[in-house]
Amino acid sequence: MQARQFAVIALLAVGASAALAQVRPVTPPTPVKGDDQTGAFLPAGVESADQATERVRNYKPDPVKSPVPRTPWDGKPDFSGVYWPTVAIKPAPVPLESLYRPDVREYREGGGAARGLIDWRGIDSPAYHCWPPSPANGSTALTFQLVSAPGFMLMLNEGGGTFRIIPIAGGGRQPEHARRPSFQGSSVGHWEGDTLVVEVTNFNGKPWLGGGRPPQTSSDALRVIERWSRPDGQTLEYQAVVEDTEMLTAPWTGPVQRRGMLPYDSIQEALCTPDPELYARHREYAASAAGRRSGGPARGRGGRGGRGGGQ
Amino acid sequence: MTVAIGAVALGAVLLSGCRRAVEENPALTSWGEPDLTGVWKGEVLGSSSGRDTFNLTALEGLYTSDARARMKQLSANDDPALQCVPPAFPRAAMLGQRLQIVQKPGFAFVLTEAYPVARIIPTSGRPHTAEQYLFPSHLGDSTARWEGDTLVVDVISFNGEGWLASGQDKPGGASTGVWLTSAAMHVVERWRRIDADTLEYRATVEDPEMLTMPWETPAITFKRQSADRIEEALCRPEDGPETYLARLGS
Repeated sequence: MQARQFAVIALLAVGASAALAQVRPVTPPTPVKGDDQTGAFLPAGVESADQATERVRNYKPDPVKSPVPRTPWDGKPDFSGVYWPTVAIKPAPVPLESLYRPDVREYREGGGAARGLIDWRGIDSPAYHCWPPSPANGSTALTFQLVSAPGFMLMLNEGGGTFRIIPIAGGGRQPEHARRPSFQGSSVGHWEGDTLVVEVTNFNGKPWLGGGRPPQTSSDALRVIERWSRPDGQTLEYQAVVEDTEMLTAPWTGPVQRRGMLPYDSIQEALCTPDPELYARHREYAASAAGRRSGGPARGRGGRGGRGGGQ
Repeated sequence: MTVAIGAVALGAVLLSGCRRAVEENPALTSWGEPDLTGVWKGEVLGSSSGRDTFNLTALEGLYTSDARARMKQLSANDDPALQCVPPAFPRAAMLGQRLQIVQKPGFAFVLTEAYPVARIIPTSGRPHTAEQYLFPSHLGDSTARWEGDTLVVDVISFNGEGWLASGQDKPGGASTGVWLTSAAMHVVERWRRIDADTLEYRATVEDPEMLTMPWETPAITFKRQSADRIEEALCRPEDGPETYLARLGS
């Protein structure tokens, strides 16, 4: 039941999603006013999502007062921590939408999201299907945990229980790159000074690059360069450059995002499991839609034709 | 003379070999814990092949009469894993799928490829999550300590929705393929490396509301894989039941 509720919540706006992350109390810096989206539901003394967002937005990182923690094995910044909420502290130079190629408009509209999120050509809102959030759209607005470990950074998402494994080159080690296409792509990280630069390729063409309409679809030519850094011991900064020669006329530089931290050593379980009844309706619709297109059933027994990237 | 030189040379080789073993003991992490990291793959276990390789006959005999009555009302198709609810360990260890272990000081992480599951296991001996933040979950709340070369993980706070084996596991003639658990379940796991390329796993499952006695899994071995990481885990009901069954190893 809890999982089903989560699937529904995943459909809501980012602001409401952030409310989900606010299940554990955080000592507020200011008195609760109870005048925003989540405040009304929170007990006295608990910071709301909007208050946390404002606090993080107005925060001035200070590496002297709050030094960046470093790992004992390579002396690089230690990203380990539970992060929430996200604030764009510097907007994207141009809107993502302005870079979409006009000739992919029809493809995007065929994505179907605007018409009620029906499974269509295997492309749909990833969150709706409990698919993993993609690095291309800032990964997730929900709480996540980063783990710095020797040779790896892990990103563990509280929403959906999904994770990314980011191998980091070093000590003569070159991480593997050829892997099965996936929602989150294949990541390989390297250090540029104290910034972890992660190149992500090998996507399956199903992530959306943003929340705009028509669906801001991607292709399997998607390539994302992420820059992760820690301005101080209380914050994380993230920026991604998104390239997709089949969808965009030029690489898109995303906003600089700042993340605040929560005082926990681990995220909680919040699995996303799809609603079987909803899926039954999807399958029925997809079959009839495919029947209209080709005069045959949507898929053969294998059920995966032309939809590569799944397991 | 030649023999003497040979002996000295051999001694030097042996000595340098020993020194290297001490300096970079491959069985320990750089901070001195047993090193369980890597990508590992187990075997498909259970009784769906007609042979009971997961001690399920014993498990079946441990269910209380109340539990049996409840299980009679369900069928193998009610297995929550068919709806992509990730099975908790020890069931997750019988799927024959790959998992990855990552360690850092104070924590171990077990990531699985069959379902998007990232277990966060404190290894510092810190207590379970404080009661005020603890809620019942599919995977439970883990905490662990090292006993020599073995990571002993204590798992509580399950939600009672998971099954201990799959609906295809019917070890006896009267088996229904239903393997309920309750929220009172308590699992103790033992993870250790028995050689450079072999990981051994075993678990004891207590569930006083379901089982008359604790149940023990057999020792399960995982073999090291050459990959540097597992693939993205994804379970999609729309892929159809045949995909689930492949995933469940039957």
